[in-house]
Amino acid sequence: MYTQKVLEHFRNPHNFGSMTNPTAVGQVGNLACGDVMKLYLKIDKNQKGEDYIQDIKFETLGCAAAIATSSVVTDLAKNKTLTEALKIKNEDIIKALDDLPAVKIHCSLLAADALTEAIYGFYQKTHQSISPELEKSHQRITVCQTRLNH
Amino acid sequence: MNLSTKSRYGLRALTNLLDQDCCCSIKQISKKEHISSDYLEKIFSKLKKAGLLKVERGACGGYSLSRDPKKITLGEVINALEKPEFICPDFCSCQSKSVWQKIQSGFSHVLNSITLDQLTASKNKSVYLDYAASTPIDPQVLTAMLPYFDFSFCGNTMSLHQMGSAASQVVESCRISFANILKVNPQEIIFTGSATESNNTVLKGIAFANKSKGKHIIISSIEHDCVLNSAKWLETQGFEISQISVDKFGLLNLDELKKTIRPDTILVSIIHGNNEIGTIQDLQSIGQICHDRGVYFHTDASQSFTKTEIDLSKLNVDLLTASSHKIYGPKGAALLYIKTGTNITPLLHGGGHEFGFRSSTVNLPAIVGFTKAAEISIKNFDQENKKLSELRDYLIKNILKTIPESHLNGHPQKRLYNNINISFARVEGESLLLELDFYGIAVSTGSACSSSSLEPSHVLLATGLRPEQAHGSLRFSLGRFTTKSEVDYLLKVLPQVINKFRQISPFKS
Repeated sequence: MYTQKVLEHFRNPHNFGSMTNPTAVGQVGNLACGDVMKLYLKIDKNQKGEDYIQDIKFETLGCAAAIATSSVVTDLAKNKTLTEALKIKNEDIIKALDDLPAVKIHCSLLAADALTEAIYGFYQKTHQSISPELEKSHQRITVCQTRLNH
Repeated sequence: MNLSTKSRYGLRALTNLLDQDCCCSIKQISKKEHISSDYLEKIFSKLKKAGLLKVERGACGGYSLSRDPKKITLGEVINALEKPEFICPDFCSCQSKSVWQKIQSGFSHVLNSITLDQLTASKNKSVYLDYAASTPIDPQVLTAMLPYFDFSFCGNTMSLHQMGSAASQVVESCRISFANILKVNPQEIIFTGSATESNNTVLKGIAFANKSKGKHIIISSIEHDCVLNSAKWLETQGFEISQISVDKFGLLNLDELKKTIRPDTILVSIIHGNNEIGTIQDLQSIGQICHDRGVYFHTDASQSFTKTEIDLSKLNVDLLTASSHKIYGPKGAALLYIKTGTNITPLLHGGGHEFGFRSSTVNLPAIVGFTKAAEISIKNFDQENKKLSELRDYLIKNILKTIPESHLNGHPQKRLYNNINISFARVEGESLLLELDFYGIAVSTGSACSSSSLEPSHVLLATGLRPEQAHGSLRFSLGRFTTKSEVDYLLKVLPQVINKFRQISPFKS
């Protein structure tokens, strides 16, 4: 049911573990549903003075697809500027894994959401302006989370 | 007949090419297998001629397989090296000639159906701990079945000619065998195609035959999906379903059952040995309650049949389901016990097979296999019960001891001798299952993530587990061919696997 790529990331996940003093953290998912993803970001300025993801780590409780999507999203986001990282969509995650079974598509959404949440949190913490689009994504994720938690 | 040295050495040498996943020189193989280079040279040139090997030039000079090992059969290899034949020359016209021809064709069939890849796959460690899902067929069962594929048993049991009556006589003797095991009359045993079919027949058959009496049916909250979903379907047809709860060990709440039975209740269906948590219900008490209230009682004994003593002459059970492939018999055979006088309508209408309860041409070899499987299981009951309950308790004790935050699901004593179900905190079952699969260990999980519905096991939730505990559950089910060393292998691998995922998890103890 899973592609070779999914199994590779599942067996040997990249960038897993916690991070000491992360600049930003994004956590999504719900224990009752069986998937919880947490992303840790270390954000720094690049030579052009833009914020970029210098390091990224994940911790996930979930199925093989949840672990593989977490692993792949860290690969996709690493060394990207925040503006670039926000453009990572769940379709990109699915593509990087050579596909996901239909019932596991929600795992790719979770991974993209965790990244969005981490960046949103960072913008908020550093008092940077938040685009209406990002605000909308954040609202959607929060509503989804609250619904899941009840 | 024997395989000559050529074939034996040829196969040994070829498996080296598989292991290497590349080419090997004659010299290397010769050294490893202690076969002389000259002899290997001769064998390899024949295999090359037959198109099974190719010569590789360059740095890794030597031979390699010319095709995917999944596509090379033993028959091809052996035929390239020698022509194995059973002694019966063409001119021979003795009575036994057809026998030799059969052996010859059976022999070729076996050789042609096994690939080089399979030959080495069996060398890799593979530990099957999913006997509750399905069992391998016992070799004795297969042997017992084979004659019934023969021409002389090709008839339909409903036909009056010799072939039909030969088949019919065999089915009747199988029926007697099951009747003896369950201590009932042979005409109360109906053969079906699966436990799912038996259970569907009971729920729908009793419902439709007795709807003038009432439309209320009682099941437990831990039934197999085939009972649960049949009941749900009946709800759409105007029937009312009540689910009786279980305690934390999975034992049925008998007081609740008593209170739930109403004058319009027509059936109580309760699983005997639970497929997920292994808890065994008290058929005596449940049967008595139903009998006192004049309600039919059905039990799904798919997991417990031949694993616990079931003497229907002493129990108030009106209907019982048992399955072949859970007891080392072939898939596609099951039975339904229907007590004489039970008012039930068939699911399948047609030619009136099985006393009119189940029309369908009878699957003779499968029924013979099912019967043999049951006979073997009954004969070995004491021995298997002892061996497997000891292994089960050993496994439970050691998992709970070596893995922190693990807990046993189901009843500590009243459980199937081969069932172990454990929840592990802070991990998810599908990940565990897949990782164990990489180690060659096959198990099951109650996690939602492994089901298409994305709902965690309703059985585990019914015992009061929180969803996250159900997600982190694994079922290990042992069987006739399970060994102590397999269980020890699991005990070695499992803590590492759990630990790996606990490290990845955001929740720490």
